[in-house]
Amino acid sequence: MADLSIQDLVVEYSSAGYALRPINGLNLDVAAGSLVILLGPSGCGKTTLLSCLGGILRPKSGAIKFGGVDVTALDGRELAKYRRDTVGIVFQAFNLVPSLTAFENVMVPLRAAGMSRAASRRRAEELLTRVNLADRMKHRPGDLSGGQQQRVAVARAIALDPPLILADEPTAHLDFIQVEEVLRLIRSLAEGERVVVVATHDSRILPMADHVIELAPALASTNRPPETVHVNAGQVLFEQCTMGDLIYVVSEGEFDIVRELADGGEELVKVAGPGDYFGEIGVLFHMPRSATVRARTEATAVGYTAQAFRERLGATGISELIGQRELASD
Amino acid sequence: MLFAALRDMQWRRRRLVIAIISTGLVFAMTLVLTGLANGFRVEAQRTVDSMGVDAFVVKAGAAGPFLGSTPFAQVDLARVAAAPGIVAAAPLATAASTLREGTSARNATAFGAPAHGPGMPQVSEGQAPSASNEVAVSSTLGKHIGEDLQAGAHTLRIVGIVPNSTALAKTPNIFLTTEGLQQLAYNGQPMITSIGIIGTPRQLPDGYQTVDRAAGVNDLLRPLKVAVSAITIVALLLWIVAVLIVGSLVYLSALERLRDFAVFKAIGVPTRSIMAGLALQAVVVALLAAAMGVVLAQLLAPLFPMIVVVPVKAYLALPVIAILIGLLASVAGLRRAVAVDPALAFGGP
Repeated sequence: MADLSIQDLVVEYSSAGYALRPINGLNLDVAAGSLVILLGPSGCGKTTLLSCLGGILRPKSGAIKFGGVDVTALDGRELAKYRRDTVGIVFQAFNLVPSLTAFENVMVPLRAAGMSRAASRRRAEELLTRVNLADRMKHRPGDLSGGQQQRVAVARAIALDPPLILADEPTAHLDFIQVEEVLRLIRSLAEGERVVVVATHDSRILPMADHVIELAPALASTNRPPETVHVNAGQVLFEQCTMGDLIYVVSEGEFDIVRELADGGEELVKVAGPGDYFGEIGVLFHMPRSATVRARTEATAVGYTAQAFRERLGATGISELIGQRELASD
Repeated sequence: MLFAALRDMQWRRRRLVIAIISTGLVFAMTLVLTGLANGFRVEAQRTVDSMGVDAFVVKAGAAGPFLGSTPFAQVDLARVAAAPGIVAAAPLATAASTLREGTSARNATAFGAPAHGPGMPQVSEGQAPSASNEVAVSSTLGKHIGEDLQAGAHTLRIVGIVPNSTALAKTPNIFLTTEGLQQLAYNGQPMITSIGIIGTPRQLPDGYQTVDRAAGVNDLLRPLKVAVSAITIVALLLWIVAVLIVGSLVYLSALERLRDFAVFKAIGVPTRSIMAGLALQAVVVALLAAAMGVVLAQLLAPLFPMIVVVPVKAYLALPVIAILIGLLASVAGLRRAVAVDPALAFGGP
């Protein structure tokens, strides 16, 4: 019985020289025989997490344990074996090899695992029959519908009967009839001891999940009165890559707005003084903070919720807010 | 993943056929050029062999018995013939000549030898020349027995035909008696360029040396050395072209299959299997091109106005070289395949 456990997972990569952490301190425990849905908008780290689970991307820190094996501690050769024997992946847009027939696409992992040609053929035939494609075995992907291609991809993913199945946006590019076929198939995979992890932004498939993990959780957006925050020099107001629900307006003192660089350094973006505001984009668009804000001197700032800040802006609206228009004094 | 590589070749078969034909043509041209360079040696060898001598005695310091010779007086023949170990000796002479036919002229290489002694080749028609105004000519001249041949200021009567006797890039040979050659080239002076001998001299008179038949062949090849070097350079360039054709095919294939490679890696296919598939593609293309090159070379060779004799070892070496070319050409593609990040497989369409 293989359980999945993720502990304090941090994934960081460089984007134009800046450090981005799409996954920052994720913890998760999933029992065998579960279907987990990773839900969130584009860019929230769903595919990144799947890549880590599949042993394709190495996280910056934290641990991924599946069936007692620490995936993050495996080296190149062990990772290839882990990917082949433990993980089955259903890729976004199917990613079947166009020059191979459906039958041959399913044979790829079997042959890679060292199975004989005859045994591979028998197994591929059995799998394609299971996904109702017995009459399409000799067809190339270009001759199959989206749903049929996705079923071939599922057959390929389960060819070696892996205990962990990862599916990336399995319902994208499919019409509703095809979605139904694929959903039934994916749900059936989670029966038994298998763990199935599905990344999607399609909330229609949530009812079939045993667990739903929202990778960009919506913060409580209830309006509340402005909060005044006093900070000493060097104290951090908020950190890059974290979520927050307050837009800050500087009352006194100065704040350094800095971006963390991929090499561990920092880049000073701006020094915010009295009357300046910051943190509005992340709050308004439900995105992580794109910079760290640290008090340069002893300083005071007032934190506004998005609604309170709009009210303070008045009738000029959000376009002027994004344009960093100067605020009228209170 | 060799089956995937072979299926990919079927999938891209049009491009593959074009690459095989292109590379096959390059291989054919390389074979023909190799045959051309070898043809110079073959015709020189045939000419020397047809003389039926074991070796040549030349003046000390002379570069060879023919074109690199230092003419000497025929009177020394008796001294050389008397040297121990020599069974037979014949006075030989060589000179470049010009054959005129109406207003046109063509070069020929004239050899002088005794009618029945060593040095005179076998004729396929007629007889060897026995008088100074008689000549046996190469069949490549297209002349017939009984016709006259205008060589320089002399008119010679054709009495024999020597089959395909050429030297110096298919320049026809003509054979006269030694006296006839002396009249043609030395104004009747009894001068010769070498003494063809049968036997192995143990000691020669002072001022003379022996050169073997191989040296005779090299002597006939010397004027073509620059041409042979040029041909060799072109052949080398053609090998490079072959590498580039196969290499670009494999590299383009690798570029187009990056997503496939990423998928293979993501599902646990070892990188070495992917590399083996690409290398297999390159080797198959190169070997098929080599086979086509052999066929095309047979068709192209007769079109050349010179002797093309592709050596057997060139045919044997071609598949080996083709495999090396395939592997060398696939290096860029292999490097690209190795560098593919399996995370690419998670990308959208």
